[in-house]
Amino acid sequence: MTAGEAGGTQTPVRALFKEMVTVFTEERAPRLKEIARLIWREPFARRTWSEFSFLVIGAVLAVLGLSFVVVTLGVGLVLAVTFFGLGIIAAAVRGATGIGGWHRQLARNLLGEKIEDPEPFASRPGFLGWLQAALRDRTGWRSIAYLVIKFPLAVLGILTGFSMWWDAFFCLVFPMWGGNGNSPVVFGLPVAIFGSGFFSGAQTGFFHSLAIFLVGIVLFFAAPWVVRAVVYLDRRAMRVLLSPDALAARVRSLELARAQTVDTSAATLRRIERDLHDGTQAQLVALAMRLGMAKEKLEDPEHVDLDQVRRLVDDAHHGAKEAILELRDLARGIHPPALDIGLEGALSTLAARCTVPTEITLTLDHRPTPAIESIAYFCVAELLANVAQHAQASRARIICTEDSGWLRTVVRDDGRGGAQLSCLGSSSSGLAGLTDRVHAVDGRLSIVSPPDGPTVVTVDLPLHV
Amino acid sequence: MSAPFRVVIAEDSVILRDGLVQLLVDRGFSITGAFGEAEALRRSIEQDRPDVAVIDIRMPPTFTDEGLRAALELRRHHPGLGILLFSQYIETRYAAELLADNAAGIGYLLKDRVADVSDFVEALVRVASGGTALDPEVVTQLLGASRHADSISVLSAREREVLSRMAEGRSNGAIAAQLVISEGAVEKHVANIFTKFDLPVSESDHRRVLAVLRYLDS
Repeated sequence: MTAGEAGGTQTPVRALFKEMVTVFTEERAPRLKEIARLIWREPFARRTWSEFSFLVIGAVLAVLGLSFVVVTLGVGLVLAVTFFGLGIIAAAVRGATGIGGWHRQLARNLLGEKIEDPEPFASRPGFLGWLQAALRDRTGWRSIAYLVIKFPLAVLGILTGFSMWWDAFFCLVFPMWGGNGNSPVVFGLPVAIFGSGFFSGAQTGFFHSLAIFLVGIVLFFAAPWVVRAVVYLDRRAMRVLLSPDALAARVRSLELARAQTVDTSAATLRRIERDLHDGTQAQLVALAMRLGMAKEKLEDPEHVDLDQVRRLVDDAHHGAKEAILELRDLARGIHPPALDIGLEGALSTLAARCTVPTEITLTLDHRPTPAIESIAYFCVAELLANVAQHAQASRARIICTEDSGWLRTVVRDDGRGGAQLSCLGSSSSGLAGLTDRVHAVDGRLSIVSPPDGPTVVTVDLPLHV
Repeated sequence: MSAPFRVVIAEDSVILRDGLVQLLVDRGFSITGAFGEAEALRRSIEQDRPDVAVIDIRMPPTFTDEGLRAALELRRHHPGLGILLFSQYIETRYAAELLADNAAGIGYLLKDRVADVSDFVEALVRVASGGTALDPEVVTQLLGASRHADSISVLSAREREVLSRMAEGRSNGAIAAQLVISEGAVEKHVANIFTKFDLPVSESDHRRVLAVLRYLDS
């Protein structure tokens, strides 16, 4: 084994150790004096008693949880040959999710453990739909797994943490309630070890009591750490089994991205309709109206006011040219024709049209899919528009590179900086929509813009969707 | 035109608004005001009492149906005012709302119709004098959606032409001129239609529009 491999195997262990130190002390690498102070303080710390409460209440819930799982799953499996059994199993899955939620809530309130709620149960219409969704609910099955694991954890906690507290209490009061060593004690292990006559010839004596008292003190200061160790195991189990399911979270984020895409494209269509309605359509109606007027004036050849007709035709001609211009801008806004040739040509046109001198560096080995090219193009277009409007920059730069299947587009300017995504988004509604489109293909848009600049916006997009 | 009709215009597109003013002034109408939104239109009508209002349906602030809302309200407060709604699209539902109880002094036209200046002016005059002017598109949509397809198919081709024009709000004289037939022939076709649809014959042009539309829409 080489040194590198050894380091590789040690790192996770060390990381785990570090994490445990952090969890246990919330302080990194405490010195000896601090450790002593910590040990002295801990039995009286609020956290210790929160954890103790968690242990006790959690144990009660654990008994309830395991009973629930065993009874419902057991009955369900026995009846599984019938339809009825499947219903009971499904109910077990749903119920376990609920009990899991109680545990999560308990951990949140008493331990400050921030485990997010899993995705809400997505039922389907009808009883069959519900049944199918419940039986396939990963969150529910993971909750069942937790309830099963929780029981031995609770037993462990009661046998170690809880009994240490009990013993500590018992040993500390032993000298006071005096000599009856035969009194039944549930977890009185130390009293059993230091049985009658230990340290002294008599049944009970000063040294016997003192020894038990000292043991009590040791237990008193050790108990918080034992409880913490058990609770730590429980925390890890919870983080794995009661947290949002990774797959469900992914599905949820994809659904969100899809919804955004649908909304954005609907908004885009609406914007195009508005532009057409207010611009080109109105222009053409006015144009037709002027030509109509001119035509009617020409119908009576005897009394033609040529000047008036010429003015009408002039206005119509002007309107026609305006309409053509508006249509061209609109068409380019939907899909820039230059993109058909490739990103480089399209971006060059953009750079040339920008009022701030802009340089382009483009090194791509593969051509991205059209959708990606389009998103990259419109991002650069919006960003350059922002540079021209707000940045007070003297020059800008576009850099397109390819890195292991990703297209990285960087737009930087030497302007005044201080740009934020939110203010970019509000000043140009376009960029907000673009951010949605970038997220929809799992891309990322990040912005670095310290006061006094420079501003660097990086857009990472997968080459292929 | 002896006493020129007084017209108020509400249209948010400046190009179209200016064009309309130019056209109507050229045709001898008197313009009492031209506005880009409904509130100014309302105030102007209170003050100037024009004969007819040309109203764009889509106007600020929401660009949906401000013009229609304004028209319905004006209809309640100023029963004598002619209202010509003007739009890029025809929504049959809008026509139904507008014609809910009375077709007198109501018009609903596609903006394209201004290209045929004389037709447009004629429609405006009709609305200003208490008649009806419905876009052929409205009538086509109603005919297409009508549940009385079987009874419409009973009509002869000529009768169907007369029906469409009648539903647009035209008078027998105008229909006769358009189809190049005698007014007597038109009267005969109209009587046939009412008999085939089993409708009571209505005297005024706008009443029979409503009767026909009700029949088609019922």
